[in-house]
Amino acid sequence: MAKQYDVLFRLLLLGDSGVGKTCLLCRFTDNEFHPSHISTIGVDFKMKTLEIDGIKVRIQIWDTAGQERYQTITKQYYRRAQGIFLVYDITSERSFQHIMKWASDVDEYAPDNIQRILIGNKSDEEEKRQVATGQGNKLAKDYGMDFFETSASTNYNITESFTRLAEQVLAANKKDLDLLRASVTDELNLAALEEEEGITDGAAASQKGCWC
Amino acid sequence: MKVDVARQRELKWLDMFNNWDKWCMCVFQVKLRCRKGIPSSLRAKAWQLLSNSKELLDSNPGKFEELEREQGDPKWLDIIEKDLHRQFPFHEMFAARGGHGQQDLYRVLKAYTVYRPEEGYCQAQAPVAAVLLMHMPAEHAFWCLVQICETYLPGYYSAGLEAIQLDGEIFFSLLRRVCPMAYRHLKKFKIDPILYMTEWFMCVFSRTLPWSCVLRVWDMFFCEGVKIVFRVGLVLLKQMLGSVDKLREVQGMYETMERLRNIPPESVREDLLVQEVRL
Repeated sequence: MAKQYDVLFRLLLLGDSGVGKTCLLCRFTDNEFHPSHISTIGVDFKMKTLEIDGIKVRIQIWDTAGQERYQTITKQYYRRAQGIFLVYDITSERSFQHIMKWASDVDEYAPDNIQRILIGNKSDEEEKRQVATGQGNKLAKDYGMDFFETSASTNYNITESFTRLAEQVLAANKKDLDLLRASVTDELNLAALEEEEGITDGAAASQKGCWC
Repeated sequence: MKVDVARQRELKWLDMFNNWDKWCMCVFQVKLRCRKGIPSSLRAKAWQLLSNSKELLDSNPGKFEELEREQGDPKWLDIIEKDLHRQFPFHEMFAARGGHGQQDLYRVLKAYTVYRPEEGYCQAQAPVAAVLLMHMPAEHAFWCLVQICETYLPGYYSAGLEAIQLDGEIFFSLLRRVCPMAYRHLKKFKIDPILYMTEWFMCVFSRTLPWSCVLRVWDMFFCEGVKIVFRVGLVLLKQMLGSVDKLREVQGMYETMERLRNIPPESVREDLLVQEVRL
């Protein structure tokens, strides 16, 4: 059965096709890296529970197809997210240039208080690098985002970046969280919360600790 | 299957091939034979006849080579190249980077973007083309892909992906009639059809079902068209979410999605699936 948790929220992985979104996710949730895997068609998601400042945070991470034409489908899910990873591939200048387009789509379709983080993946492929770390840093700064270079292959900065975004989402929703804490005072309430799990997937759940 | 039965079926199919124009009239008989499964030795030829791609091939000599010679739009070629090693990576034909399978896949997908520049490339075309390439040479696979994209599943791969989204809605309303229990469950957990059926439909189940089932589904699909895709989808939902016991195992959005995206191979049996689809 599902584990107990205090809050549930959704993060979304966005970025061009082939930048490594699915691999980042597999590394984070299952600590696995498969050099042989299949392209993502449509939308997929995985879950993982983290503990941040004593709060059990259940995160649902949505993985999306990177090709532009799938955006008519994936955009529909932007508004359900609280945090977004904008991912490019450090060996692909083009994927980096497209970050601006991804960011403006997020501005247009995602909720206002959405938290964003910039990821330059494949940092292990130094010999093929086309995007300098400084360029990533600068772009992130311009957009007011945190920035990580990561490698799903060598497991570099994976937990760090996922945890950082989760922390940001927590901080941004601090008010709701305090409400949650006030309401969850004993075991009974926690159990009640747990029971609601399925149903709380909707808007009605906001005061129960689900910001979906 | 017994050897003599298999042999008999092959002979029947060979007879059909020899008199294809005549057999085309006997839609019902052909349909029945496709549902029984096309003998694997004759599958490639049967698919090409059923889809009319053989006719396209014969009436367009040299066209494929001509398309191959064109430069192609780098916008599409870039995405195609990234997808070559991400189709059936454990199939011996596609396992090797830059191997023959991947090269042929590139040729077919690129040729399509030159043939229909306004359509370009859609990522779901790659697994479909790969399945075709497992059965036939690149030029034949190309014309077969053309038929799938334009006659069988028109609009599925086009920019905007409106056709697949519309079919998702239609599929969901059919589910309501066919299996209200599964329908209510999906509705309760807010699992939109687009979340699970996109890959099922766009790849014609090639990434979803055990391989023997994929082939049987494709046999029927080439004969009867998109309705087979709908029916298989409905049968799967019925099998995964069609009883109280089964629903008990998937209490939650995540659990349900997991089950639908990774259908346990032991839960789908080739003969049972085909039997259900017929109903």
